[in-house]
Amino acid sequence: MRQVEIFNLTKSYPNPYGETFRAVVDFNLNIEKGEFVGLIGHSGCGKSTVLTMLAGLNEISDGGIIVGDSEITGAGPDRAVVFQSPCLMPWMTAFGNVMLGVNNVYPHATKAQRKQIAEYALCAVGLADSMNKRPTEMSGGMQQRVGIARAIALKPTVLLLDEPFGRLDSLTRMELQDVILEILDREKITTVLVSHDVDEVVFLCDRVVMMTNGPAATIGEILSIDFERPRERTSMMKDPLYYQCLDHLLSYLTERAHLRTDPRIHDSSNLLGFTGAKVETAK
Amino acid sequence: MSAKYTILKGIDIAGLNFLSPVVRLATGEEPAKQMKEIGRLIVIPTLAFLAFFWLWAVVAPKHRTKSGEVPTPSVVWDARAGIWRFHNYETAKQDGFLLQGKERETELARATARIAEVGMLEKIARQQLTAAREASTVKFDTTVAPAKNAYDTLREISRESRKGRTAALKAEAATLNTATEEARLAFLQKLRDTQARTEIDKLELAKLKDRYEEAQEITFPEVKDATRANTVLAEEKQFLVKYIDMLGKDSRELKLAAAKTKLKETRTSFLTATEGDLYRLGSGIIKNEKFIKTTASSKYAKPWTLPKQIVRSLLCVFAGFLLASAIAIPIGILCGLSATFMAAMTPFIALFKPVSPLVWLPIIMIIIGGFMPDPENNAFLMFFDKVPFIKNYKIDPMFLSSAVTVALCSLWATLVNTALGVGAVDKDHMNVARVLRLGFWSRLFKIVIPTALPLIFAGLRISLGVGWMVLVAAEILSTSEGIGKFVNDMYTNGSSESFAQMFVVVFIVGIIGMLLDRIMVVFQRLVSFDSAVPAG
Repeated sequence: MRQVEIFNLTKSYPNPYGETFRAVVDFNLNIEKGEFVGLIGHSGCGKSTVLTMLAGLNEISDGGIIVGDSEITGAGPDRAVVFQSPCLMPWMTAFGNVMLGVNNVYPHATKAQRKQIAEYALCAVGLADSMNKRPTEMSGGMQQRVGIARAIALKPTVLLLDEPFGRLDSLTRMELQDVILEILDREKITTVLVSHDVDEVVFLCDRVVMMTNGPAATIGEILSIDFERPRERTSMMKDPLYYQCLDHLLSYLTERAHLRTDPRIHDSSNLLGFTGAKVETAK
Repeated sequence: MSAKYTILKGIDIAGLNFLSPVVRLATGEEPAKQMKEIGRLIVIPTLAFLAFFWLWAVVAPKHRTKSGEVPTPSVVWDARAGIWRFHNYETAKQDGFLLQGKERETELARATARIAEVGMLEKIARQQLTAAREASTVKFDTTVAPAKNAYDTLREISRESRKGRTAALKAEAATLNTATEEARLAFLQKLRDTQARTEIDKLELAKLKDRYEEAQEITFPEVKDATRANTVLAEEKQFLVKYIDMLGKDSRELKLAAAKTKLKETRTSFLTATEGDLYRLGSGIIKNEKFIKTTASSKYAKPWTLPKQIVRSLLCVFAGFLLASAIAIPIGILCGLSATFMAAMTPFIALFKPVSPLVWLPIIMIIIGGFMPDPENNAFLMFFDKVPFIKNYKIDPMFLSSAVTVALCSLWATLVNTALGVGAVDKDHMNVARVLRLGFWSRLFKIVIPTALPLIFAGLRISLGVGWMVLVAAEILSTSEGIGKFVNDMYTNGSSESFAQMFVVVFIVGIIGMLLDRIMVVFQRLVSFDSAVPAG
């Protein structure tokens, strides 16, 4: 079942000299319900622009986005965002930060129900013991966990992750990736992740959308990551396919990202390596 | 968390950083380092203050004014005691007037005993004064008298010689009518020489006079001290005489009792009289009843004393400050939220911010006077007469004018800071608000205001400081009872004691201003989440 449909999405900025700068053009993508899609590309290629347009925080210049069965017109809690910085209100506790959204999204629930929703979300990210701490008393990783809890407490149709682990050290990043996977395995929320970390997208995503270099960036290739769920890091890292996927992504980013072709679809059957060599896979 | 760190945290929040090395030293933490810190934060400032006082004590007496010489620190300290004594005496009279029954009698006995004691002390003090004066006369004779004699003698001599010279010249002039031109010119030269001589004499005389005056100016500290002791005792005696009256014949209780007895008598004679003017007796009863009624609620008309004036000034500054905050914070928030509104407000802020309180005050006094043509029966002012505590400080149009002036001059800092704080809301936080679809009020109270609070409080702190400075000026001009009025009274009084009391006010205003600032610093730190207390 199709959950998100992005058609001919374009973002252009007029500059003061009457010309327009086109950041993203003709971005077309359909996302299935419960699917985990990653957006990867070089810095400045417009992947975050696509995500913020999907979130409704950035105006759409042309084309459109349909979520569920209606076109989006602005930001809303059906498309919860986890930002790169945790964006917590420093004057509220972890619980208060989660409740800020919950109060607004479930206006008809009783106080006890809302409290339960917030507590559940915080437990899901492993903060059962730190609900009453303020952001200044928490590490960056814990703060980002609150950010995730705030997003999933809204029970969004689509969860948007905008480089959520970009500012964390690699150990904390792995912990949080596991947290996200665990939650998504349970909740089956359609998710879009923007990242420039190839390990991360291979480990987390069902499909990785590779974007061409900007300006006028669009989809270059799409790679299906054919690993079963639930996924487990150690066993995945023993699988040669994992590295072949990494190779494909890295070779795209270093060798093919500047090319302008129609989007190509790849999966474990037609993986590419460096210098465009076809990779034979075991599967 | 141990008690030590609780105390250190409190010190940090209150901004009393100079105390933290003391606490650390007391708990034996790195003594050498703490001693160094104590040296920097406590010893050096203390030394600086001592140096200031020394300089003050040396320089001040060198300048003479029409109110005597500029008071030294010790004179100012005595003036402070004088202000406090006056306050205590007046408070005692006020309380004494209302005492009743046994309490009143005990107090009366105590006061009577004290007045006898004071009489004795005064006698001793007077003897001491006489002795000191005699001793000083001897000193005077040895130092001043010779100089004065020299001056007097020279003055006499020069006057005589001048007279002689003038007479001789006049005689010569009488013979000149027949003299030749040369002789006449020679006379003119002689006249010139004589004039020059007189000038030289005058200069010499002035020199001697300076020497004599210098000798005369040698002060006699024993006499000064003895005089002061005498004055203090005389003041107390004067107070006790009044106080005994307040406790005795002038006390409310006795006045009421006398009036009641008289009323009873008049009543009896009115009811039983068979002859005489019953009209007069009857109206006498009514007059008596009225008198009893007013006496029962009467109070001693206590004059304004400095402590009471300080409290009124504080009330006034807080009234102005609250008014300023009530205006500045909402407008500041609107300015921060809307660039259009900010554009509309900018010219007003730029135009009115620099206006001096001395310009606002007369205008506001007239405007408020227009609202309250009859202050005695104004409903708004009468409302304050019923509010506990505030009713003792007589809220009048002058008070309101001063408060409004304080508000007008101090609101700008809060307004600008609030606008700045609201405008500085994190874009990411606004994105969160958009995703969560927070409504206007939610955004305002959950995101915008908490972000702006530290800056709002920074503005409030500046406003309160400005308000306190403006208030004293406003009170001097409006003669609204308060610290400013006290200064004005002292200035008009012009005695050397009131000159010293003005110096006392300098320190009081400074200390209160400092305390207000510290309080605002504490609030500012409590609301700023950046310096939030670390986990522990």
